Amino acid sequence: MFNVALFSINQATAASMLPELTILVGIILLIVVPNLGDSTFRLPFSQARIPWLFGGKRHGWSSHPAVPGMISSMILLFALLFALGSQMGDVNPLFGPASHISEIGNEDGKPLLRIDAFSRIIELVAYGALLLAAIASMHRMPATDPESIPRTPRAGRSAETSRIQSMLDNRRQVDFHLLLLFAAFGMSVVALAQHLFVFFLGLELAAMSMGVLIAFHKEDKASTEAGAKYFIVGAVSSAVGLYGISLLHLWSGDLRFESLASAWAAEQHNRSFLAILGVTLFICAMGFKVSAAPFHFAAPDAYAGASSPVAGVLATASKALGIVGMLRILSIALPTGGTDTAIWLPMLALLSIVTMTWGNLAALDSRNPKRMLAYSSVAHAGYMLAAIAAVGAWKGGLGGDEAKGAAELVLTAVIVHLVVLVAFKVGAFLVLTMLETEGTSHRLDDLKGLARRDPILACSMFIFMLALAGIPPLSGFLSKMMMVLGVLEISTADPVASSSMSGAALGINWLFWLALALLLNSALSLFYYLRIGVVMFFEDPDRNRSLPSALGVRAAIIICAIGTIGLGVWPEPLLNFAHNAAEQFLS
Amino acid sequence: MSSILTPLILGPLAISMIGILIGWASPRDKQTSVDEAVKRLMLAISLLIFAIVTFLWIDLSKGLSTLGWNDYLLFDASNWIPSIGVSWIVGVDGLSFPMVWLTAFLVPVSMIVSWNEPRGRYFHSLLLFMESALLGVFVALDMMMFYIFYEFTLIPMFFLILNWGGDDRRYAAQKFMIYTFTASVIMLAGLLATYWLQGDVCGTSSITGRCFDLTISASAANAAGSSFLGGLGMQRFVFLLFLIGFLTKLPSVPVHTWLPDAHVQAPTAGSMLLAGVMLKMGGYGLLRFGLLLFPGAVIDFRLVLIIFGMISVVYGAFVCLGQTNLKRMIAYSSISHMGLILIGLATLTPLGITGAIFMLFAHGLISPLLFGVCGAFKHHYHTMEIGSMRGLARHAPWLAAFMMIGWMASLGLPLLAGFVAELTILIAFWQAYGWWVIPLALTLVLTAGYYLWSMQRTIFEGGLDGELPEGIKPHQARDLSYSEIAGFFLLTLPILLFGILPFLVWEMMANHSAEVLDLTVAKALGWGG
Repeated sequence: MFNVALFSINQATAASMLPELTILVGIILLIVVPNLGDSTFRLPFSQARIPWLFGGKRHGWSSHPAVPGMISSMILLFALLFALGSQMGDVNPLFGPASHISEIGNEDGKPLLRIDAFSRIIELVAYGALLLAAIASMHRMPATDPESIPRTPRAGRSAETSRIQSMLDNRRQVDFHLLLLFAAFGMSVVALAQHLFVFFLGLELAAMSMGVLIAFHKEDKASTEAGAKYFIVGAVSSAVGLYGISLLHLWSGDLRFESLASAWAAEQHNRSFLAILGVTLFICAMGFKVSAAPFHFAAPDAYAGASSPVAGVLATASKALGIVGMLRILSIALPTGGTDTAIWLPMLALLSIVTMTWGNLAALDSRNPKRMLAYSSVAHAGYMLAAIAAVGAWKGGLGGDEAKGAAELVLTAVIVHLVVLVAFKVGAFLVLTMLETEGTSHRLDDLKGLARRDPILACSMFIFMLALAGIPPLSGFLSKMMMVLGVLEISTADPVASSSMSGAALGINWLFWLALALLLNSALSLFYYLRIGVVMFFEDPDRNRSLPSALGVRAAIIICAIGTIGLGVWPEPLLNFAHNAAEQFLS
Repeated sequence: MSSILTPLILGPLAISMIGILIGWASPRDKQTSVDEAVKRLMLAISLLIFAIVTFLWIDLSKGLSTLGWNDYLLFDASNWIPSIGVSWIVGVDGLSFPMVWLTAFLVPVSMIVSWNEPRGRYFHSLLLFMESALLGVFVALDMMMFYIFYEFTLIPMFFLILNWGGDDRRYAAQKFMIYTFTASVIMLAGLLATYWLQGDVCGTSSITGRCFDLTISASAANAAGSSFLGGLGMQRFVFLLFLIGFLTKLPSVPVHTWLPDAHVQAPTAGSMLLAGVMLKMGGYGLLRFGLLLFPGAVIDFRLVLIIFGMISVVYGAFVCLGQTNLKRMIAYSSISHMGLILIGLATLTPLGITGAIFMLFAHGLISPLLFGVCGAFKHHYHTMEIGSMRGLARHAPWLAAFMMIGWMASLGLPLLAGFVAELTILIAFWQAYGWWVIPLALTLVLTAGYYLWSMQRTIFEGGLDGELPEGIKPHQARDLSYSEIAGFFLLTLPILLFGILPFLVWEMMANHSAEVLDLTVAKALGWGG
């Protein structure tokens, strides 16, 4: 089943895999560079010593604490640019004319990996979030408990002590950024996979790395606990998903998406129970990944315990993986004939309403900004699920001829939402990162008077909050509106020709009320987003110290703010890209 | 072909952003001079806009008075987000141009009136920001563009209330924002449903094959008649969604509770713009979307409109009688007057709709004067309570004079702008529904009652020396500052002008309502739904 000739890939394939190869190179660099030292190798039976570079006394530059962060940010930036470049225009400026779609591991026309606009845009989401996290983590990862390190080097501190300290810091940084890159690689695999098991491998690689990243601040009990919770709940959900995959394998014998889809379509009138159970279990596992209620219980703890940049990644890139999984399995289990009701439609629609309402209600009540953002990301998962559920309704017989357009629109909306979430969700977490540098960001009160202490940060945060709430013309509005549009299109596909209003209102497809629930939930969420703004702008700060300059984080925050506004006011390029991706995903 | 309206919206937006940035970047010890400079810049820009719009009026008045249905002047359409069919479409007609002029007039006046607000670099920048958003609402002819600007107005108003408001400003600002946002998203649901159900009428290459172009939707609605949106029942349902959004903004009685709080807490300029223009967005939306897209549904909802309008008028007036807070009283009188707009719309006669548009315009001129006077009263005497101050005429003759002018204009004194609107609406209602006009006419007496009563208690009583509020010594009893006098004087002028010469603005409104009624409502009456 796995006789893929990975090492026989030709040059063109290698060129199209450039972003992934870049990540691999980055992983190797991160292992090699900090180990560079002055060690030598003595030739046997002679006194000649050849410099061997590995080990020995490390060089100053190779053991500098900032080096791993720089490597991983540069690598992620390059990977991001390569991924973007591979889909830009007809002629790629970097590598000459390139085909935008390539398939790898082709066996009788069914690939294992597929590179197209869809996988690339998911990779962009992953790399973008991880890049922002890498930049933000450069400034705040001391090896020892921050409390025990004197702020200024003590006068009597020897050069040797500080060298050792710097090396320990460097080691810790290496661990962190290595895990980031592993997560990036796992996410790439998830985006590219055309095979359920390959997909699962990528997912687990990313999830394991994220689990360690959450627990990374081992000095902090909350962090360890968060990591353990995330890991255990994640392991259980993976087991459930794996069981689903094994059932599907038992049913079809081939786990490539195309084979599964044709097997599913062939069984249109005589659906095997194995298949249904397998798909259901897999959807449950994905429900955990997107932290949909009732699988979301670990999420708030994980977000609150993790450092803010990691929590930002969890809320965007990790969530995107779950959405990709959801979309992949659902595109398999789409009944094609139109006579068969999609089995997962009621499941997803119910899940989405419960998720968005639960998330918003819980966020209303939380006084910890990180938990609030965690619950808000639960709610956002609900919005996306609602959009996905709509495709099911359409496939279940609604919509008719315009069917394809509807599915494309919903997919475009979900993809756009995933992309813009990186701008304003990670941005919000980065603002909390700035606050973490001076102690905690666990209370709403820590945000008090931020506008007076640091107006740029406060304004960016307010922009992020408004975008999360979906206020036009910020980018959150557009994606949310498109999701509602998708639901509406399907629910109003064949309006009831009733002359009385109550007749029309009752005769309208019940999905219309799903759209209304989505809109009203946005209005509900406005309350807690606004509260952050009010606290920042109109309360006196507890302390008046100005925040550290941390240029990298600040730059990342500003980029996020510009992205939030820019993608809202001029979304056309992104929409085109996402629409391309949606088309290619469905073809 | 590009239209002057686009720079008219985007120019103030950019300049207000520059003003806010300058405010941030300015060093702490120079802030007073920065305040002065930014304030002057903002005033200059808003005056420039006012000059342009006034010039446009002179230039366009003939064209606006003869404009056909669904035709617009200064029309310009260009792509914005073609993937989902959003365009940048601007244009004015007899309904929107008076609102545009009103906005362009009120913003500089409110800047002058509240010239001395603290942190003027932000305050005046936000006012200009507000002007840009409001102009955008009134000239937008794309539904999504309309919605975006409609929500955009919330942001500066939220900050104005929250930063410069009264003691209870946090509650008021959040209530204002959440209340109106909730109503707007319900309207958005209606808007998106229209977008889908109108079908493939645009011939665009967007993903969905549809567009938000209001002019195209209006023609489609007119051509499809009762089968627009798939049937009259669906039209009614979608109109109901719009109605909820606009009634909350107007506001009409069951959904009015945000308004008194927002008004009492808002700073003077905020109240002036809130009452003067922001409430008008609700009435404007009803007249624009309701009549253009859902004439059949409007006919069916006549009774609902009348009931809500009647309750607003009568209930608002009764609540006014019981108020002891001056600003609250005026807020409720706004609700009462806005009810008349629903009544005017429900007549579905050219006269009634012209009256409703004129009411939007006249109330937009009068209510800023009322709130401006209240704000000045609060500023100089640190109280809003009716009766805590007596004999205002003696201590502050200017303030008393402008208060009287405002009160008289609002209670509908002939030769002032409010009278024309009220009279027109009442006549139209009488023509359409006969003696049902009696409760409305009696309410006018009630209006005169509460205004005169509050005037008597505030301006006149109290003997020769009057009574000052607690804590104010006679030598502290100040009259208006020069900037306030100038602002109020400017506000009084058009109230008189359009009261004496209403035809200056009447013709374009009458033309608009006649055209719209001829081509939509008259036709819809024949559907026999």
